[in-house]
Amino acid sequence: MTKVHPEDFEVTDFAVREHRSLWGDAWRRLISSNTARLGLFIVILFVSSATLSHYFWKYEPKKDLNYSLKLKAPNIRPNEEVDSIHIFGTDKLGRDIFRRVVHGGWNSLRVGIVAVGISLSIGGLIGLLTGFYESITMTTAERIILYGITGLILGLLSAWIANQYFQLIFFLGFGIAAGYYQDLLAGKPLRMIVFGSAGLLISVIPSLFAGLTIALICGIWGILTGVLLSLPLDGKFFSNVMMRVMDMLLSFPGYLLAIAIVAFLGPGLGKGMIAIGIVGIPVYARLVRSAVLGIINKEYILAAQAVGEPHGRILIRHITPNILSPIIVQTTMGLANAILSAAALGFLGLGAIPPEPEWGAMLGDSYRYLTSGAWWAVLFPGLAIMLSVLGFNLLGDGLRDALDPKLRM
Amino acid sequence: MTRYIIRRIISVIPTLIGVTFVIFMFQRLIPGDPAIAMLGEHATEESIERIREQFGLNRPLFLDREALAEGDVAGFFDSQYIRYMDRLFRLDLGESIHRRIPVLETLALRFPATVELSLLSMILAVVVGIPVGIISASRRNSLIDSVSMVGSLVGVSMPIFWLGLMEIMLFAVILKWLPAGARLSTGIELETITNFYLFDAVITGNWVAFKDALSHIIMPAVALATIPMGIIARMTRSSMLDVLQEDYIRTAKAKGLGGRIVLYRHALKNAALPVVTIIGLQAGTLLAGAVLTETIFSWPGIGRWVYDAILGRDYPIVQGGTLLIALIFVVVNFLVDILYALLDPRIRYK
Repeated sequence: MTKVHPEDFEVTDFAVREHRSLWGDAWRRLISSNTARLGLFIVILFVSSATLSHYFWKYEPKKDLNYSLKLKAPNIRPNEEVDSIHIFGTDKLGRDIFRRVVHGGWNSLRVGIVAVGISLSIGGLIGLLTGFYESITMTTAERIILYGITGLILGLLSAWIANQYFQLIFFLGFGIAAGYYQDLLAGKPLRMIVFGSAGLLISVIPSLFAGLTIALICGIWGILTGVLLSLPLDGKFFSNVMMRVMDMLLSFPGYLLAIAIVAFLGPGLGKGMIAIGIVGIPVYARLVRSAVLGIINKEYILAAQAVGEPHGRILIRHITPNILSPIIVQTTMGLANAILSAAALGFLGLGAIPPEPEWGAMLGDSYRYLTSGAWWAVLFPGLAIMLSVLGFNLLGDGLRDALDPKLRM
Repeated sequence: MTRYIIRRIISVIPTLIGVTFVIFMFQRLIPGDPAIAMLGEHATEESIERIREQFGLNRPLFLDREALAEGDVAGFFDSQYIRYMDRLFRLDLGESIHRRIPVLETLALRFPATVELSLLSMILAVVVGIPVGIISASRRNSLIDSVSMVGSLVGVSMPIFWLGLMEIMLFAVILKWLPAGARLSTGIELETITNFYLFDAVITGNWVAFKDALSHIIMPAVALATIPMGIIARMTRSSMLDVLQEDYIRTAKAKGLGGRIVLYRHALKNAALPVVTIIGLQAGTLLAGAVLTETIFSWPGIGRWVYDAILGRDYPIVQGGTLLIALIFVVVNFLVDILYALLDPRIRYK
């Protein structure tokens, strides 16, 4: 009898195929689409040219000036008029437009990344928290934090009126107590009276030292604070307040809000980034919130709660990875939007400060020379804006199809 | 339905109050002293003080705790914000600091220009965008579909100010077909009634002015329309594709109905909801995007006016203009919500 080893047989298990990861699959789907490949190519082209030129092709905008080459048309080889090569022509100060377009990419992409970073981090956090606590009951500790912060914010007014900032400690303590004793007389009108009078006491007693009328006003405010804190505040309350604030930001058309913010902060590339970032916050907050609401009732979240995982861990380990797809898509498209807004601000003279190269500002600088026939000074920076924005949009589109096959059209 | 509308109106009120608050804050936080802006750099201390007194600029922003400390409760509430809200309720938007013209008057003159431009752009965007979306959806993955979808993405990615400049270069500078700016050529007479020039020209039967106004508006309208056009086309396509997978479409086809009837009667009607929403949202964005278009085409609308006022620290204009734009934005969104509920009864009962 011969010995039989399992290794001797060629085993084909049809049920098991080569391991393929989720992201690997998405990547394969992404590069199988022509338009996504095009987008990826454009994005890589712009990112690499901007980065490489920033580090290896030195450019000093302040010293770049040559009036003898003012507004020369593009040339491929030197001619009698221009002895150097300017494939995109030169602008009103005789600067090589090709060079400025390439270097301008660094500024435009930077604005995009920082602005999206601001919107995503703040908006994303707001969206995560509001979506999460809207559906999941708060723990005692979390409720105490919510009440404490509410008390602190409301206390600010009373403390300011009386010019006694130590009152804040009382209001904070009051909030914490209201959160801790939430079961005390729950649902009874008496609870309102008890907390209202407690609020009255903590605001009136210190305010009396500041004056009688002040004590009167502070007292009224204290009662209102107490009444509010006696109500059962929960995640829905928090979510409502935050979403109203987001609605408010959203009720200003984007450009106008960005222009107003820059007008307040003063012009400059950094201020532009902040302005565009702030304008984007509600977009991400809403997106993340609805994504969280979409998965919060899934079995795995329930299971995580059932085994007693803390809320922070559920948020980080279970929710965040599962809402990543829409966020990645929105971030890519958000980059496109941010670049476009930055260019608009630059064009209006509110973005980069000249002579810093930036596509929008270059357009704003040169468009007056259009009537004298200098089309190249306007064409190339604009093409750069359009192509880079198109690249990010194509990539975002492809990513949406790749990351969420269900949405695939 | 009435109940739903009332609920929506109530939910709009905090947003409106917030909007007025934000505008107030902006107008006060923008660096520079409005009194100095009004009088110029060389004004005397005395006259600055008088202007500050006259416009209430010496009052505190929100509440006056010093007045309260002296026992003056009425003085406590007598702040810039309360005065501002008070004026707002009386529809008093003040007058331009530099030109001394009431803001409301200029608004009435300039607002129709912006609305006319936005409206025409919207019509263009809808008339082109929806058919493109329908055709793309009905011939999915065909050459037409790919071309129009990449085309619409190019539209979405278009810096409108650049497109406007390119239009000017091509049609005004090189071909000399169209004028490059303003609403009407000099020398063309038009009796203005509503300040919507196209409309005015039609009702007065002034066809020379109509042709001229049309030739002026066409370039900015096309520039402004590109982004919404792309968005509407893409939205129509994806919404149509969703609906075309439904069972009732298959049933309709199985019954032997023609493709055209299924497409327009059954599919388009049900795919209209998201498209209506996106059109509404774009209407607000158009008004704001007008800032850029109006700058390039020297269009005398509110976008340009507000932008100039921000740079020139003309607070009453900034306040009145942004308030109006934000207000329209809120109202349009509100109307879209109502329309949505009318079209889809499920929403009312949520």
